[in-house]
Amino acid sequence: MRFEGKTAIVTGGSRGIGRACVARLAAEGAKVAFVYNSNRQAAESLLDELKSAPGEVRALQADVRDLQRAHQLVDSLFDEWERIDVLINSAGVVKDGLLGAMTADQWREVIETNLGGTFNYCHAVTQPMMMARRGSIVNLSSTAAEFAARGQVNYAASKGGINGLTRALAKELAPRNVRVNAIAPGMIETDMSQVVRGIAGDQIKKMIPLKRIGRPEEIASVAAFLASDEAAYLTGQVVRVDGGLSLGGY
Amino acid sequence: MPTKEEVFEKIQAALVDALGVDDEDVTPEATLVGDLGAESIDFLDIVFRLEKAFDIKIPRGELFPEDILTDSKYIQEGKVTETGLAELRKRMPFANLDQFAKNPAVQDFGNLLTVADMCRFVEGKVEVTD
Ligand SMILES: NC(=O)c1ccc[n+]([C@@H]2O[C@H](COP(=O)([O-])OP(=O)(O)OC[C@H]3O[C@@H](n4cnc5c(N)ncnc54)[C@H](OP(=O)(O)O)[C@@H]3O)[C@@H](O)[C@H]2O)c1
Repeated sequence: MRFEGKTAIVTGGSRGIGRACVARLAAEGAKVAFVYNSNRQAAESLLDELKSAPGEVRALQADVRDLQRAHQLVDSLFDEWERIDVLINSAGVVKDGLLGAMTADQWREVIETNLGGTFNYCHAVTQPMMMARRGSIVNLSSTAAEFAARGQVNYAASKGGINGLTRALAKELAPRNVRVNAIAPGMIETDMSQVVRGIAGDQIKKMIPLKRIGRPEEIASVAAFLASDEAAYLTGQVVRVDGGLSLGGY
Repeated sequence: MPTKEEVFEKIQAALVDALGVDDEDVTPEATLVGDLGAESIDFLDIVFRLEKAFDIKIPRGELFPEDILTDSKYIQEGKVTETGLAELRKRMPFANLDQFAKNPAVQDFGNLLTVADMCRFVEGKVEVTD
């Protein structure tokens, strides 16, 4: 139980990768608060699922695009827990479209949720983590930051931004023993990738050296490792977890 | 209401925690950067600790107006301009800028702030008794 006595905040924790992260941390003893935005049912079903987990789990509604709300949420958890050990930024959206047809709203929503939300929650935990001289932040990036897909200008930019933010913040916070890393998943079986998998699933599998789509739990196990003291010497890295997809070649 | 002595003691404690220096290093005359080895991230840490210790809010950039020092409007060839100095004086009434003004090289700015300046800064935010 690597997270006994530890506390964690997971944004986008109600579904997909974030949900698997919440389950993993709770299974290893953490007190976890996860953030969801609109799908209350999904949040409640997770609470139900984890009722008998060794850790404690609670759901908090918040739009990650709201910085003030991020501070308020983190501050009240800190008042109660007196420590914030882990932050996992998994809240994210896709709004694909070719650039020529992309609306300003499509651009803004993706940048403000994926990159802005990551900034907001990093901003909110900086003070408690810095002062405690302890903490680990894990940001969900994507292989899409480096490997282009048509129709994802907004998404690729948001994830490239997360990679830059991760490295720069890692450098800022390293003297305070706070580590910041990112995970770049390839194709993972969640609601987000459902449409693409539906259209091109078999073709994509052929491109993946491990010949299958990844499971959310396979991202959560890496996130838990990065969040834990086992990764104490690891900071500023973007870890690709993609079944070998990004290896290229043939 | 804290006394001046108590303000100093809390600031001393904040600096000891933030900078890992010894109590006796934190004298009123000690400069934060030169004598106590503070780096830019430490200023953020110090501000966090002061906010907690005195239960006050310190807007970012108030104790250490980094924004002026990185604004090309106020900096020329590595030195703070006259307007920049005027701006600094306005923003930092708690600090004595006379010595710095003689040769206002940006790189020397950090070395200006002393522990006594910080005490004055905090005294301006909380009511103190003698
Ligand atoms: N799935 C993949 O193949 C894949 C690949 C690479 C990277 N990623 C990245 O991994 C992360 C998780 O993806 P996923 O596949 O797990 O997505 P998902 O299944 O669609 O889940 C997204 C989660 O984010 C939350 N969320 C969305 N907008 C929010 C907002 N404005 N404020 C608060 N929460 C918000 C959702 O909550 P509500 O339902 O309440 O809105 C939900 O919990 C994302 O950053 C994604 O870009 C995924």
